[in-house]
Order: sequence, then C-alpha cells, then structure tokens
Amino acid sequence: MSTAVSPEAPAPAPRPDDGSAPSESRLRQLPALLLRGLLTQRIVLLLVLLAAVVVTFLTLSARNYLSAPYDAGYLSVTLISAVPLVMLGLAELLVITSGRGGIDLSVGAIVSLTSMVFGFAYGEWGWPLWSAIVLAAAFGGLCGAVNGFLIAYIGYPALITTLATYYAFSSLAIVINDQQPISTRPIQEFFSAARSVPVGGGEDPLQIPLGILTFLLPTAVVVWLLLNRTTYGRRLYAIGTNDVAAEWTGIDVRRTRFTAYVAAGVISGLVAVVTVAQFASARPDAGVTGSGMALPAITIAVLGGVAITGGIGRVAGVVLATLLVVWLNAGILLAVPGNAGSQYQLLALGVVLIAAALLNGLANRRYGRTG
Amino acid sequence: MSSSTLTPPGGAAPAGQEAHTARERGRVLPFPVTGQEIVLLVVVAALWVALALATPAFLTRGSIVPLLVAMAPVALIGIGMTVVIITGGIDVSVAGIVMVCAVVVARAMVGSGISLPVAVVLSVAIGGVLGLVNGVLIAYGRVHAIIITFGTANLFEFLGLRLFGGTTVDNIPGTLAFFGRGEAGRTLGIPHSFLIMLLIAAAAWYYLRHTPGGRHMYAIGGDADAARLAGVKVQRRVVSAYVLTGLLTGLAACFVIARGTSTLAPNVGAGIELAAIAAVVIGGTSIMGGRGSVLGTVLGALLVQTVTSGVTQLGWRSQLSALFIGIFILIAVGADLLRQRTRRTT
Repeated sequence: MSTAVSPEAPAPAPRPDDGSAPSESRLRQLPALLLRGLLTQRIVLLLVLLAAVVVTFLTLSARNYLSAPYDAGYLSVTLISAVPLVMLGLAELLVITSGRGGIDLSVGAIVSLTSMVFGFAYGEWGWPLWSAIVLAAAFGGLCGAVNGFLIAYIGYPALITTLATYYAFSSLAIVINDQQPISTRPIQEFFSAARSVPVGGGEDPLQIPLGILTFLLPTAVVVWLLLNRTTYGRRLYAIGTNDVAAEWTGIDVRRTRFTAYVAAGVISGLVAVVTVAQFASARPDAGVTGSGMALPAITIAVLGGVAITGGIGRVAGVVLATLLVVWLNAGILLAVPGNAGSQYQLLALGVVLIAAALLNGLANRRYGRTG
Repeated sequence: MSSSTLTPPGGAAPAGQEAHTARERGRVLPFPVTGQEIVLLVVVAALWVALALATPAFLTRGSIVPLLVAMAPVALIGIGMTVVIITGGIDVSVAGIVMVCAVVVARAMVGSGISLPVAVVLSVAIGGVLGLVNGVLIAYGRVHAIIITFGTANLFEFLGLRLFGGTTVDNIPGTLAFFGRGEAGRTLGIPHSFLIMLLIAAAAWYYLRHTPGGRHMYAIGGDADAARLAGVKVQRRVVSAYVLTGLLTGLAACFVIARGTSTLAPNVGAGIELAAIAAVVIGGTSIMGGRGSVLGTVLGALLVQTVTSGVTQLGWRSQLSALFIGIFILIAVGADLLRQRTRRTT
C-alpha cells in the first residue's frame, strides 16, 4: 500500500511556491491516491466494503429494524457457512492462478462424491476418524488428478474438462449408494465437529464454530505458505502470468499446473468432511444442490481479486471476500424475513460480483494491470 | 477473409467472374460438414440402432416424439450459445433467462389468457432484453464473459424467484400446445418445436457461413484485436451475439412450458445452461473461440438427449446419463485436440 505514494502518473507541474509546497501538493493528491488505492488494491476495497456492510447492519440493528440483533455473537455463529466457502474459494484461487483459462467447475461434484466415500469409510466400514479424513483428502486429490492430468498433460481446456467431470462425479455420487444418504450412528455423532466452541475469556466468550479452527484456518495458512513461502508458489504465479516464458526459464509447467488441480481436489475432499459434519449425514447431492458449490466458490475468488486470466490472486482477498459475502448474507436474512431473504442474497451476490468485475476493468484501464 | 464474402453476387456479373468467385469461396470456406460432425452422425446412428435392438419400444412414436420435443429447447439455446462461444465468450446465465421468461409467460397465460403469438413475442422480447444486459456489460465493461454471466445468472434467478413468489404457477392453459408433444404439436408426426428449431438452425448456419456478419463472429473469436483493426465493429457484434442467445432462449422457454405439465415449478430451466454448453462442445465448437458450427451443435444436442432417453428406457438409473454425457464431452474434445495436433504436425 505504502508504495502507492510514488505515483508514476503525470506529476503536477512544479509550482513556484514557498517551502510548504511538497506537503501541500501531497495533501492535494490525497483524494486521488485514496481513489487509486481503492481501485487497484482489492484488499483495501474489500476492507472498506466490509466495514460499510457491518456498520450499516449494526446501525439498523441498534434502531430495531432487524428481526434479531446483529451483534458479535451472531456474526461469529454465521461463520459456519464461511468454512466451505473459503476453502473452495482457495481451491479456485490455486486453479485460476495457474492460468491458461484455469477454472474448476467440478469442486461441488468432488465434494458430493467424496462425502459418500467418507460416509462409507467412517459410517459403514468403521474406520477411525483420522484415517477416514486422510482417505477423503486422498480421494479428493485423486479426482483433482483426473482433472489435472487431462488439462495439464493432454491439453484439454479447463472449462470443458471440469464440466465433463462435474457431470461424471455427480452422477457417480448418486449411483454409488443408490441415491441414499449415509447417516449411521458414527456419522450422526460426527455432527459434534460442527459445534461452536467458546473462545476468549470473560463471562461472555464468543462462540466460534469449531470448523473454523480445525479446517478453515489450517487450510488458509497452508495455502498462504504454499503461495508465498515456497518455490512452488513462485512457479505457480509464473506459469499463470506467462506459461511460455515460464517454460523457457526451466519450470516444469505441466507438473506445476497438474499439482494445482490436485491441491484443489484435496481441499474439496476436506470440504466434504466439513459438509458431512454440518448435515450429520453423507448426502449424495451435498455439493451440487441448487446452484451448487462451484459457482459461489468461483464468485468468491473473483470478488477476492483473483484475475480470471491467471497469475494474480491472494489468500487474504479470498478470505475477506468470503467474510463480506457471509456477513452481508447474514444481515439480509435478518432484514428480509422468510423465503425472500435467501432470494435477496442472490441479488446481493450478483450485484457485488458484477460491480467488482467492472471496477477491476476500470482500474486496469486507468492504472494498468495490478493486483 | 471477407473479401470474397463481401463481393455482391450480382446477377449481371459475367459468367467467368461468377465462377471465379465461387471457386474462391470454395477455397476460403471449409467443407460444409466437418469430420467431427460426420463422426457424431455415425455415433448417433449407432446409438439408435443399438437402442432399437436392446429395447423394441425405442423406435416407436411414443419414444421418438418426446425425445425430439425434449431436445428442441436445448438445441435452440445451443444455437445461440454456439455463436457466443465462436466469439470467444460464454453465457452461463441462460437458465435464469429461461426461468424469467417462463414464469412471466405462464403468469400472463393464467392471468389474462393471452394468445399464442402474444405469448411467443412476450417471451422472446424478455429474453432479448436480458441478453442485451449481458451483451452490453460484456462488450462495453470489457470483463470476461464468464464472470459477468455468473453475476447476471444470480440476478436473473433472483428476478425469477421473486416473480414466482415462493409458489408454483398452476392451471396453465394449453395455449402453447402447438409446441407440445401432444397431437396438436405435430405435423405429419413431426413435432413443431423440432421443426422450428431446424429452421432456425438452418438460418443460423447460413448466417455464420455466408454473411459478413457471421464471418465477423469467427474473426472476433480468432483474434479480437486483429478483427478490430480489420474494421469489424467488435463490440456491436458481441452485443448482438448475446442478444441473439437471449432471443432464442426466450423462444426455448415457450418450448419448455409446452413440454411440461400444466404446473410450472421454480426449478424450471435448472441445469439447461450446462446441457447447452455440452451440446455445443460435443458438436466440435472450440471453447477458445473462432471455430465451430451450428450443425454440430444440433447433432450434439441430439446425442445428449439420445443418451438421456436411452438410459431411462434401458431401465438404468437416470442419473447415469450424466456420467455418459461427461464421457462423451471428453471423447469429443479429445478427438478435436488430436485432429488439431495432427494437422499442425503434417
């Protein structure tokens, strides 16, 4: 952010002024600098929007316009819906950043199919929990490897490949157990993994969903480390920015791209475990009901500043975009009672996504391509 | 590339000149039927023979007519989607457009008993307006089509759900039976919706292949910057592609109402965008833009619907059809990749 203080834009003509000129011109540039920061730094924009949403609903809540108080307790409880969103958003981050039209429409179908596999292992075959989770992650990775192999090694377009595997995986998930969900006793008791736990001291500690601590935070930290502190992360950004140049610098482009899809699959496998806990049942349509899980995840990623052309994207953007969407949705549910609430959530998501995309285009034209 | 197609055919031209233009045209344009389309035709024919041998009920009127009626809306949307994908874009919001058009038309038919032409015009007009929203945002906002249409998909779905108001639309009169699978919807045993789709497909095929406007779509998909430098009004053409898709989707919404029962549920149209994209891709249109044909899309839609009906008639789980559609997409795209690679090396 602080680098934005040195604008390359046509510098204001030197004014024959007294000694206070530099600070004064700096002051005069402040609105332009703020605008530039808002438009080019997605994190700043998201923070401002997030603050605006929370303050708006807090005000509405204080004046009793809402059907229930919109307070810290409510905000932390609603975070339960952020767990799958952030994780799948990070999966899309990895895949979209890998470039060449990278996208994964099949994450929802992988969630469905892996839910069933996890349900079999933990609910029917009586595997211990940790090995069932490892199996879910490995199986999700296997599904991702199918995508990755076709896209990275054979050269299929990502959109089409993942559309095809979306069909295939969701079909298998339904057929594998004859359309029946698995909800045996161990699966039902696994619901405790989706409970909230008190965090912080005092007589009124915040109730944080356990999934945040056991699944979301570890995934976010691992992906952040992967992207920012390993050579793999640098390679991924490199192939996403320009894969021909990356090839010439000696990067194994195919393997790097393949690994991104496998990682997305592993994350989807873990999301399957989370959804089984939330539903207390392994459902064959867990990830594809309604508009599915893939479209919201892609929306979150784009809103979080991931460039659909590849090479640009940050973990913090995805996390902030999810918080924005989750807390906006939570507020809408209180402001618009009943069925209409979930419909207005669609409106809000659509408007926010289009506005963010148009703003991105505007910023690119005005200031050049930026993160 | 447009020099030959732009030449006015003009009846007064000397015979030699005429032959020259025709020869030139033959060189510029690819053969009318691509290899992929011939293969598709063979695959569909083989499937039909296999299904006829496996279940004698398949080749009867009670089975073929519903198949053709069911494929018509998907193929119709697929025609628009073909043009959009040729320009290098995509439209994932068509399910939302179907939903909005269907609920408005159904409500109008129940509430004020509008006639068939009014219903069709209303539906097509609404579809066109929604397509215009997509087109303007994509062409002038200069944002990738998939992002904009993901966003408008949410908006259209919101609009549709609000219009449904949380209930189904019941007691829809039979105004649209002309497009249906009943006796009123057939001429010489062929469903009207299928015939109309074929007519529109033929018109679209001619437009894409033999008019400057159609060739411009390919040019934009091949390289939008080069097309702009060559004088193509890229933004206007892109808007028209999405408007066309909207118009066709509006007509498809009428087909969707007609093929159903007298009740319209809020899940109308769900998944039709993926089915249409699948039909386009199986038909050999490149998702990267610049290559594709309407004929392939119609064959692709026929293949998808044959698989769906076939799986049900064989008594298998109906959800298995999705698995086969996925596999067919992979085979079709794989064959296309292979052909491109051999063409490049030879």
